[in-house]
Amino acid sequence: MATTGLNRLRLARAGVGVAGAGRTGVRRSPNRGAFTLLVLIAPSVLLLVLINAYPLVYGAIQSIHRGTLITTGPLVGLENYTDVLADPRFWKATVFTLVFTLVGVFGSWVIGLTLALLLRTKVPGGPVFKVLLMTPWVVPIVVSSTAWNWLVAAPDSPLPTLTRWLGFGDALFLADPTLAAITVCVFKVWVSFPFMMLMTSAALASVDEGVYEAASIDGAGSRQKFTHITLPLISRSTYISWILMTIFCVNDFPTIYLLTGGGPVDSTTSLIVLAYRTVFQDFQTGPGVAIAFIMTIALVAVSTVLYRQIRKVEIA
Amino acid sequence: MSTAKSGGVTRRGFLGLAGAALAAPALAACNVSGNSGTSNAAGGGGTLKFWDMPWGQPAYNDAGKKLVEAYAPSGELPKASYQVIQWNNFYQTFSSAIASGSGPAVSSGAGFQAFQFAEQGAIAYADNVIEALKKDGTYDDFLPNVLDSMKTSAGYVAVPWQLDMRILWYNKAILDQAGLKLPTTWDELHTTGVALRKLGISGFAIGSGAGNPMGSHVMVAMMINNGGGLFDPDGKPDCVTDVNVEAIEFLLELVNEGIIDKGSVSFTIDNVSGLWNTGKAAIGFYSPGLTGAAPKTAANLVVADPLTGPRGGKGAVNFVNNLMMYKDTPSQQGSEEFLQYYLRNLHTYWDNKVASSIPVLKSIADSPAFSADPNNTKIVKEWQPISKNYAATGSTLFAGLAAVDGGQALSQFTQTILRGGTDARSALTTLQKGIEAVVQ
Repeated sequence: MATTGLNRLRLARAGVGVAGAGRTGVRRSPNRGAFTLLVLIAPSVLLLVLINAYPLVYGAIQSIHRGTLITTGPLVGLENYTDVLADPRFWKATVFTLVFTLVGVFGSWVIGLTLALLLRTKVPGGPVFKVLLMTPWVVPIVVSSTAWNWLVAAPDSPLPTLTRWLGFGDALFLADPTLAAITVCVFKVWVSFPFMMLMTSAALASVDEGVYEAASIDGAGSRQKFTHITLPLISRSTYISWILMTIFCVNDFPTIYLLTGGGPVDSTTSLIVLAYRTVFQDFQTGPGVAIAFIMTIALVAVSTVLYRQIRKVEIA
Repeated sequence: MSTAKSGGVTRRGFLGLAGAALAAPALAACNVSGNSGTSNAAGGGGTLKFWDMPWGQPAYNDAGKKLVEAYAPSGELPKASYQVIQWNNFYQTFSSAIASGSGPAVSSGAGFQAFQFAEQGAIAYADNVIEALKKDGTYDDFLPNVLDSMKTSAGYVAVPWQLDMRILWYNKAILDQAGLKLPTTWDELHTTGVALRKLGISGFAIGSGAGNPMGSHVMVAMMINNGGGLFDPDGKPDCVTDVNVEAIEFLLELVNEGIIDKGSVSFTIDNVSGLWNTGKAAIGFYSPGLTGAAPKTAANLVVADPLTGPRGGKGAVNFVNNLMMYKDTPSQQGSEEFLQYYLRNLHTYWDNKVASSIPVLKSIADSPAFSADPNNTKIVKEWQPISKNYAATGSTLFAGLAAVDGGQALSQFTQTILRGGTDARSALTTLQKGIEAVVQ
């Protein structure tokens, strides 16, 4: 008996063999089908375990020991975690990480969204602008941080020279703690907005123009179209880009480290920089890994909340 | 019996292939340590890996490669291979390689690296090499106090090969043009700094920005200059002393009066080099390689006399860069023979003018190739004898110093001072606590 395509799929999912026309189907037990599937995915699962779980477990072990990168050292239980949580530098780094992440995510999103909307309009040389606007994302971070250092670090760098010329005096962009934090955040937004622009452009491209035409016929203005059509229709992509950018920002080591090294006086030290410095400069492996674990837990929590938001959007 | 086939490959065959594909990387991973163990057991087999850092221009590493490739071992001992390890994440590179059994047999590296790895049981002590150097006379060729700094209660952790120091440099043309005398005391340095500030030129070039440890080195150098240091003679942290407070108060005065640029806190090494190169720095501490870092003004850059502190003392900070051997080697005898070969041929670097630091051997320091530059001669004759290592006021180096040099406590202290608006004693008290936390 011949089967339809849909039936074939159903049978295949049930672990039942499908015969061709004129042949009798071979029935197999569901258990055997499940076993076959398990065996087929086992290599991938094992590889993932080796690549991800092993370092995670090894890191967890390191975080409850007082050792080095070579030796595990004596077991200290949760002492590394309590030490880290009692350290004011950890909380200072947490605050900066929050600020850096919030500015990085929403700053780059606002600029990315604005540019994506602008680039939807037909302007001469639009593709050229698109390519140029991608430059901050494409250029290696070592190159762009060097360029920014040249732009702001020394008293005779272009930006300090400009601020003097405008009568604002000597602006110590990387030497003053507040200005350094602002500079690092602005640098992050500059590096990240092309990614947001790309994500938003892709989402906007999938929005049917007919929806806007219908809204126009109903008398909706530009603002109403933006808030009631554009934003809701791209919300799924927006949440995904927020999740990704949150992870990028919290885990962003080079942007900060190459520009300020976490200074001056820890004013731009984020948690990832603190973890690195604790492990590789202070050689305190246990506490450094403990910081990294606390970060991981926080990131998983934030990502879960945002992911649930995506599901709500899908359901709606 | 299953008859399902796909392109001639049975399901069982496919699963077998998948299993093999999975097993291959796992077995390869296991084999990393397996190789090491086999080569160790073989004694003379394999190749002896020498890891070197970029100690100067690329020409340095080119010369190093040639030197290592020219090594002809005796008998069945292994030949050597050369590999450059970048400074970025170098400790991570060494640690992970050593932990996985794929590390070097011999290497150069950071000043306190040998002490760290010795503490972790990875270093092969160099006592046999030292004995051999005594026999052939090389031992007596070392500059004073250099070799002893590598000695621990368990033996020599490494053998020195070059010296890094923080030297006071000045731009002669700028001082001459401004009619200023070269300062020889702290007071004179202050007076000259005030005059230079009026000209818009730095009278104490320094930096403590991203990846720049030189600012911290200068802090310690000034403490040593005044008879202090970070540790007491027994090696315990001892930052809050009157001499240290006096040294840091002097630096704070330079900051508060604008002699030290307030932007210094964020200056990278490139920023500081740029100040020297563009004639915007007239006086300041730098490594012996300043002329290479500031080629435009190199002809005017001169090593100054060591400053006399307010208590009449002189002093500077040095870093003994060394060559270390590791236990994981195809042949310990091979490592030792290679190290001796390398030490006997060190002069190649200075003969070819590719080294940017000070040699540890008198024969090289006295050689025409090195001593032709009067700056070099002055460093060896006047600065090296008064210089002390990071353990000052103690003298014995130890593993914990790695967490001090480049660690967060000292870099934060340096940045606090360079920002000004603090007092020396409280800043040193915070430094003391920070060092105590990382030095066990």
